Amino acid sequence: MIEWNAVSKSFGTVRALRDFSLRIGQGEVFGLLGPNGAGKSTAIGVCLGLVRPDSGTIAIAGMGSPDDPRTRRSIGAAPQAIALYDELSGRENLRYFGRLHGLGGSTLTRRVDQVLDEVGLLPRAKDRVLGYSGGMKRRLNLAAAIVHDPPILLLDEPTAGVDPQSRNNILDMCKALSQRGKTIVYTTHYMEEAARLCTRVGIIDHGALLATGTVAHLIAEHGGESVVTITRTDGTETRVATPDPVRHAAGLIGDATVQGLRIDRADLESVFLNLTGRSLRD
Amino acid sequence: MPAILAIAVNDLRLLARDKAALFFTLFFPLGLAVFFGAIFGGGGGGSKLDVALVLEEDGPKARAFAEALSADSSLDVVRQTDAGTPLTRDEGETLVRKGAVSACVVVPKGFGGGIESIFAGGGIKLEGYVAPGRGAEAGLLTGKLNELAFRQMASGLSDPAEMTGMLDRARSSLGGDDSIPDENRRLLTDMFDRIGEVNKTFGGLNPGAAGGGDSAGSGGWMPVQVSLTELKDESDRPRSSWEVSFPQGVVWALMGCVTGFGVSMSGERSRGTLLRLSVAPISRGQLLLGKAAACFFACLAVQALLIALAAGVFGGLMGQFRVGNPLMLAAAMMVSAIGFTGLMMLLAGLTRTEGGASGLGRGLIIVLAMIGGGSIPLFLLPGWVQTVSSISPFKWATISIEGAIWRGFTWADCALPFGVLLGCGVLGFAIGASALKPAERA
Ligand SMILES: Nc1ncnc2c1ncn2[C@@H]1O[C@H](COP(=O)(O)OP(=O)(O)OP(=O)(O)O)[C@@H](O)[C@H]1O
Ligand SMILES: [Mg+2]
Repeated sequence: MIEWNAVSKSFGTVRALRDFSLRIGQGEVFGLLGPNGAGKSTAIGVCLGLVRPDSGTIAIAGMGSPDDPRTRRSIGAAPQAIALYDELSGRENLRYFGRLHGLGGSTLTRRVDQVLDEVGLLPRAKDRVLGYSGGMKRRLNLAAAIVHDPPILLLDEPTAGVDPQSRNNILDMCKALSQRGKTIVYTTHYMEEAARLCTRVGIIDHGALLATGTVAHLIAEHGGESVVTITRTDGTETRVATPDPVRHAAGLIGDATVQGLRIDRADLESVFLNLTGRSLRD
Repeated sequence: MPAILAIAVNDLRLLARDKAALFFTLFFPLGLAVFFGAIFGGGGGGSKLDVALVLEEDGPKARAFAEALSADSSLDVVRQTDAGTPLTRDEGETLVRKGAVSACVVVPKGFGGGIESIFAGGGIKLEGYVAPGRGAEAGLLTGKLNELAFRQMASGLSDPAEMTGMLDRARSSLGGDDSIPDENRRLLTDMFDRIGEVNKTFGGLNPGAAGGGDSAGSGGWMPVQVSLTELKDESDRPRSSWEVSFPQGVVWALMGCVTGFGVSMSGERSRGTLLRLSVAPISRGQLLLGKAAACFFACLAVQALLIALAAGVFGGLMGQFRVGNPLMLAAAMMVSAIGFTGLMMLLAGLTRTEGGASGLGRGLIIVLAMIGGGSIPLFLLPGWVQTVSSISPFKWATISIEGAIWRGFTWADCALPFGVLLGCGVLGFAIGASALKPAERA
């Protein structure tokens, strides 16, 4: 459905994408995970025709390059930075973006109301976006991506800066969209979102794709060992990495100096940290 | 096409919702136009109608009529040149052409004789000229002249001695005319005799009886004939300060459009909506044309609104604003709208942020507007400033619009200003559009 073929892109000395190759099939929900500045937005920008690669190609299956307006019609994009008209109401925003995507007449009206309902903004549809909360703006930002009902969705951190309620609404919507057969690319820093939603994830850092696969596969491959943390009565704490934490814990039974015990199983976050390291990013 | 329209409509709606932009594109220019128009004196002055009076006959009847006209409280009558000599017909006409007075009334030779031979086929004839576009005043003046002429006639009828003379002249002219059938001749002689008796008995007729006549007359007898000719507009001076201040207002309104849309365009960039527009399945050309169309329509609309207001409020009855050539004005507004749309594209293309656009807008554009006639009317600027101001498209817009209103431009005169504005439009669009690259902004 979407195929990046050895795409490289530099901004000055910053190499935002290096030899980035990825193939996403129809109906997949693909999570693109990476620290700040990893190149997630750049990868999506290439897909939208907003970023011209220095080398490599991008193909949207069956439609070709995103430079062609007809290809872009089948894509819905929710930019990382909220892109809405504050002076317009929620409904006016959606009507405008719907019109630009070729909708009109009763189809436009029906789709706008349907999408407003899905993101829970129907009661506030007439209010100007200026007065919306951060979560409402995020939801409208997503609504604007799906108003024309495209088969491909590129969602760049669609849950950034929202409360758990809005996050749940957005995740539920994505699930519903996926069930309707949409192909979704979803970038995020939140591992639990990716684990909950995505059929497949990819870890990207410094512009390079480090690993891809299902969540279970990545944990098995890159999660590393689980950690058993033992607290003793003298106040000391020891951490033991082991592939079989339960067996290790069982060996401690009867040890009077053990006051507490915690088992940390490998998860997507350990995969992420193992692959991208613990150093701070910009 | 629907996409271009959708973009244009959305941009106009955004402008309408932006109170500051709306203020600077509409209310501020209107306020300036009214303010400057008013402090520089508005129209000719007061509500009195200023009229030049030319006496081509110097008889007592003509002088009495002139006195009556001068005494009328609704008229401001000029009878002499600046040198103190009585006005000639040519001088009176020139005063009208120059806009110094609204109309000129000529009392022609034979005026007194016409009154005296009123029953012998004579009558009062008045001629005159009215300034272009002063139809309403021409109507008022015609009514006023009819009234005064009838009163003059009636005053003759109420004087027994004069009346006797009039009847004698009528009888003798009746006797000398063979074309009148005997039957009619007898009836008329009979009538004159009866009037003569009434005249002797009561010492004159009641003026009211004669004054009730209608200038249109019935049966073709018109005792008072007033013929006012409307002059063609050849003046190359503004009729009133409104004709200067409203084109100035137009300049400010165009400036408001340029900065308003320029800022809103950079606003699309900074608030990320340009990214959505770039991602939408529309071509770059459609996007730019939609944006340009919005600015074009706004430019056209504010110009039309200001001029229509001026024509409606200060034109019309007040006669202080008149569009010399409406077709040319329409063309001038169209061409200005194109020119300033180009300027807007240039502004939007060369500035990356809203702050930048408004900074550049409020700097460069204000300077261009000022030297282009926005603050001081072009024709009042010193010569060298007028030369410098040629770099300002605002000057060419002002000239085009004034050309159609009061400068009396021919289409050949329009070639240069129209050409500059069109060139500015095309060049601005080309440069701005090539600088406005929606892509490469991830
Ligand atoms: N237009 C640009 N000009 C200059 N540098 C850019 C531009 N766009 C991206 N970069 C740089 O490219 C690198 C990748 O940026 P990108 O936005 O793709 O990262 P990201 O993974 O989306 O990060 P985040 O999680 O913070 O959104 C960063 O170092 C960024 O500074
Ligand atoms: Mg990003």
